[in-house]
Parts: sequence; C-alpha cells; structure tokens
Amino acid sequence: MSLFSMLEISGSALGAERLRAEVSAANLANAETTRTSQGGPYRRKEVLFSTAGGFRHLLNAAQVNGGTPQGTVRVGGVVEDSTPPLMRYEPGHPDADAQGYVAYPAINPVQEMVDLMGAVRSYQLNASAVTASKQMIQHALEILK
Amino acid sequence: MSSAISGILNQITPNRLGADAPATATADSGFGSILKNAIDQVEQVNAEAQQQTTEVLRGDRSDLHNVMIAIEKADVSFQLMMQVRNKIVNAYEEISRMQF
Repeated sequence: MSLFSMLEISGSALGAERLRAEVSAANLANAETTRTSQGGPYRRKEVLFSTAGGFRHLLNAAQVNGGTPQGTVRVGGVVEDSTPPLMRYEPGHPDADAQGYVAYPAINPVQEMVDLMGAVRSYQLNASAVTASKQMIQHALEILK
Repeated sequence: MSSAISGILNQITPNRLGADAPATATADSGFGSILKNAIDQVEQVNAEAQQQTTEVLRGDRSDLHNVMIAIEKADVSFQLMMQVRNKIVNAYEEISRMQF
C-alpha cells in the first residue's frame, strides 16, 4: 500500500471506462454499417473488464512499489457480439443478397445510449474517488500545519 | 595498531567533531542527505508530470486522466516537501531565538 495506490486504482478504472464509452460510441456510429474489412455487416463490440493479475503484472508491481496495488482494473479484451445480423428486405441496396435482403448490425441504439450513460457515470464516480483520495492526502498534510 | 582503529572509527562515525573531512562526511549520511533524497524524489515526480503534460499537449498520448493524476501526485509531493521545509525553518528560528 503506497501513498498513491488509491490514485492508481482509480486511474486504471478511468482508463477502462473511457474505453467502454469509446466502444459504445463505435457501436452507435456503425449501427447501419453493412461493409467491413472482414466482410459482412459490422458486429457489435463489447468490453470485458478483469482484475489486473498475472505473473508479469504482480512482479512489476512488487518491483516498482514494493507492494501490489490490489484492485486495479484492466480491459481483458474487446469481444464481438454473436447475435445474428438483422435481415432487412431492400432489393435496391448494393449489399443485398440474392433474395434481396441486406444484413444490418444487430445494434439497438437505446441499449447503446444506456451503456454510454453508464460508462460516463462510472467515469464520474471514479473521478470522484480520485478527488476523495487527494483530499485525504491533503487532510493528512493539514496535520503538520 | 591504534592508528588503524582510529581510521576505522573515523569511517564508522564520520559525523563526530574533529573528523578529517567533516564536509564530505556529512554529505554521505545524516539528516541533510535524507532531506536531499526526498527533494530529489519530489523533483523526479515533478519532471514526470511535466513530461506527460508535454506529451499530451503535443498529441502523443490521449489518457488525460493519467496525466491529471501525475500532476496531482506532483502537487501533493510538493506540498509535503513545503510542509517539511516550513517545519525545519520554524525549528531553526526557535533555536536561533534561544536565550543564553
């Protein structure tokens, strides 16, 4: 436990939430995308959070701080939603198949907006934790005055 | 034999009065060097924050929150250093006002 480990933990959460908001924004932006470099429509992305662990991380933390800042969060990965694409009948569309159906990403804008709001709120929450940590340190410094 | 022992004693207790080189001896250990180390650490945190700020302004990195946290760390470290410095100056003034 170093003086700044609370700041480190909140900092990692801020980074993770920012990525979550970024992925939500990408989902919203590509809600109607029918062409991707992998072929087929855009697939909805989702962020997986995991606790920071693993040998490399623990060794690093032990070497740098002399103690492990337990509880930092990291982004375990960005996975694709496996929901099948929505098929819409649009025979005039250049990406329509032989039957005249176009595959659109299965993205619900309302759900994405709620996710985005959640990410923003979580970001605020963790920023508040940073402020609280800062105030605690400053209160400790007040003792000396 | 006795000169060898006194040589070792000089090495062990470099701060005692009448040592051969008191100026260099006090620089090696004692309160002054501890203070200097602490100030160096504060300086290091400060330099790190400054570098990260420059990187953000140049557009090399986008994790603004980590930069803010680094600046906060530098600020808090500096405040702690100032508090310690105020304490030391106060103590010095107390002693200098002492009546003989």
